[in-house]
Amino acid sequence: MGFGQFLAAPEIKLKLITYRDVFQDSAKESSRFGEEYEKLSAVIRLDPKDISKLAIKEGDTVFVKNGSGKVIVKAMKSGYEEPHPGIAYMVNGPWSNALVPDDTGGTGVPKFKDIEATVQSAKGGKVTGILDIF
Amino acid sequence: MLTMASVMEIYQLLPKTNCKECGKSTCMAFAVDLLARKVKVEDCLPLVREEKYRANYQKLSEIITPVGDVTETGLIVHEDKCIGCGNCVVACPVNVAADPFGAGSGKAPTSDKVILKVEDGIVRAKNVEECRRFGENKILCVACIDTCPTKAIEFV
Amino acid sequence: MVVCLSNNYYVCTGCALLCDDIEVELEGSSLVKVHSACRKGVARMKGCETPLECAVNGKSTDTDTAIKEAARILSNAENPLIFGHGNSSSQAQRKAIAIARKTGAYLDDTSSFCQGPIIEAILQGKLRTCTLDEVKDRADVIVFWGADPSSSHPRHMSRYSYFPRGKERQRGWEEDRTAICIDVRKSDTAEICGNNGTYIIPPGEDAEFMDALVSGLSNKVPKTSFDFDKKRILELTNILKKAKFGVIFAGLGLVYSLKDLEPLFALMDKLNSVSSFHLIPMVGQYNMRGSNHNIFEETGYVNRVKFGTEVLHGPEYSVVEALKEKAVDAALIIGSDPLSSLPLSVARYLTEIPLITIDPCQTLTSSKSDVTIPCALAGVESGGTAIRMDGVEVEMKKIIETDRLSDEEILTRILEAL
Ligand code: SF4
Ligand code: SF4
Ligand code: SF4
Repeated sequence: MGFGQFLAAPEIKLKLITYRDVFQDSAKESSRFGEEYEKLSAVIRLDPKDISKLAIKEGDTVFVKNGSGKVIVKAMKSGYEEPHPGIAYMVNGPWSNALVPDDTGGTGVPKFKDIEATVQSAKGGKVTGILDIF
Repeated sequence: MLTMASVMEIYQLLPKTNCKECGKSTCMAFAVDLLARKVKVEDCLPLVREEKYRANYQKLSEIITPVGDVTETGLIVHEDKCIGCGNCVVACPVNVAADPFGAGSGKAPTSDKVILKVEDGIVRAKNVEECRRFGENKILCVACIDTCPTKAIEFV
Repeated sequence: MVVCLSNNYYVCTGCALLCDDIEVELEGSSLVKVHSACRKGVARMKGCETPLECAVNGKSTDTDTAIKEAARILSNAENPLIFGHGNSSSQAQRKAIAIARKTGAYLDDTSSFCQGPIIEAILQGKLRTCTLDEVKDRADVIVFWGADPSSSHPRHMSRYSYFPRGKERQRGWEEDRTAICIDVRKSDTAEICGNNGTYIIPPGEDAEFMDALVSGLSNKVPKTSFDFDKKRILELTNILKKAKFGVIFAGLGLVYSLKDLEPLFALMDKLNSVSSFHLIPMVGQYNMRGSNHNIFEETGYVNRVKFGTEVLHGPEYSVVEALKEKAVDAALIIGSDPLSSLPLSVARYLTEIPLITIDPCQTLTSSKSDVTIPCALAGVESGGTAIRMDGVEVEMKKIIETDRLSDEEILTRILEAL
């Protein structure tokens, strides 16, 4: 796929917050390489407004990228009552960790819960597989 | 989050022709039974058969999520949502009365009189006839519904 | 034949709650039913679908060969890294420390980028704490701060913190306890705490919210730069003031948003001058806290140490900085998956150095390892002790037999082979 075809897709800047989920955790215990774990991990949860800004539908795949990495994940609505445009949620896992910067200021603690990234429609591109994250 | 559908909501999605093909006398009667999961969406034959009901059929199938067992009190556990946290087990007043030092104190139930119990990570309902929502002196107990973080328990 | 080991309770190692009331049904040597554990615990106890194979350079081999190769890599390395430990028994952890001492290794655990600072402060007596049993028997005000136990420790609220009846809390949660949730989003736990009990604050503003609470508790106007409703803050400080036995459960949300712990110390001091408050860290991995305790006993630090003629300690010896600065030249990973759990930008370096993984299951890290040694699943296939999130030691019993060695046995043999 050439880069040109993504030029038209709107790109937005977001703050990513990671969280934990029992179902995803349980899937990890069963198999880190299983479909279920990918299905529950490779997801970004967005505000409905941001979904329309991206000109995508819920369930479409998006590129999430920043200086540290790039992954394709599925875009879903967060389902929270309170609107949160500009903030997106990703469950803690290899997909979110691909985007955590290595900039720690020498503290030894990466900024897991404070990640900036841009999001853009992947135009049907496939979700990044766990072994392809590297 | 899934909220409980009302009879009216279901009724609105049915053909409303009272055709009796489902064996009920009215669509309303069918709606009531559908809410209680006594019949399946597919039992409404015109809905499945006729193109013009396609959208409604789909919507109804989404609202009426299939469930394993409906107990006599109408208690349903949505197994796909239950995380086995045990909140309902510890909160249920019948569990507390039957097993104050086990379930009532947060630990594994030690009595076989309890209603709710977690097995293989999912809550199971037994002794449902003891449920406060059942029998002569029934009350509208919501202890297990209110304490569930994932809305996995529903009464129909 | 299904054997029900009734009234024979086991311990779940799914998280640091270490629930010790688990009953199991066995068929032959496999678990067919697990009672009382949550979904996550059952998934852990029933084991993974992809067990780790014993292999050197991708070729399967016997344990002896793999152990020898692991020992060779560690002795040849100048600065090996020994990392993981949160999913190991305390006995295995002590062996890992001994290996680190012998090889002059960097030794760190997951607490280095999680709850480490809080556990250190507790062990140094800087934060007042209590046990979960005390919480169950006595706590009337329970604050979940940056913590979502419904997702991370599913039985937390039902076993100890909110729903159970306890000695001084006989009337149950509705009348006897107040649960508060302070978070950046409406989590499942917040749903239970309800709208009145939930305080949604902007990401990264926890320190300021702590300051505002201190102001409120000092009868001053609680101002925040994000204009949080002052009335609601005062409602909260009123609840906190009236607490007979309060507890704050500190989650990763809180830890990650604080640059240092000063605002938390100030809040705890203030709380303890007006009422009585305790703090318990929401430790994730089942024996993460044990690792902190064991390293502390051996070195005086909870994590981030480098052995040599003397024991060095500091952020530069953390797993993150050591990998970032490429300061280590081989790594032994025990019961952990840094390639999944660390920022990839940091962890990627692991794939460039000789890598050894000890784990019951295949992980992303094991898939890039030169040596992989499968171990028994703790709490199911091997026993030992572990330390719960509140510092209480729990004994794990073996439930079923296995051919696989325990991590303690593997580490003992690596130590001997060095
Ligand atoms: S409705 Fe009340 S009595 Fe019935 S199962 Fe739920 S909590 Fe128990
Ligand atoms: S409270 Fe809900 S999630 Fe928890 S065990 Fe009961 S039904 Fe399952
Ligand atoms: S809460 Fe933690 S220790 Fe308890 S059953 Fe669940 S995973 Fe296991």
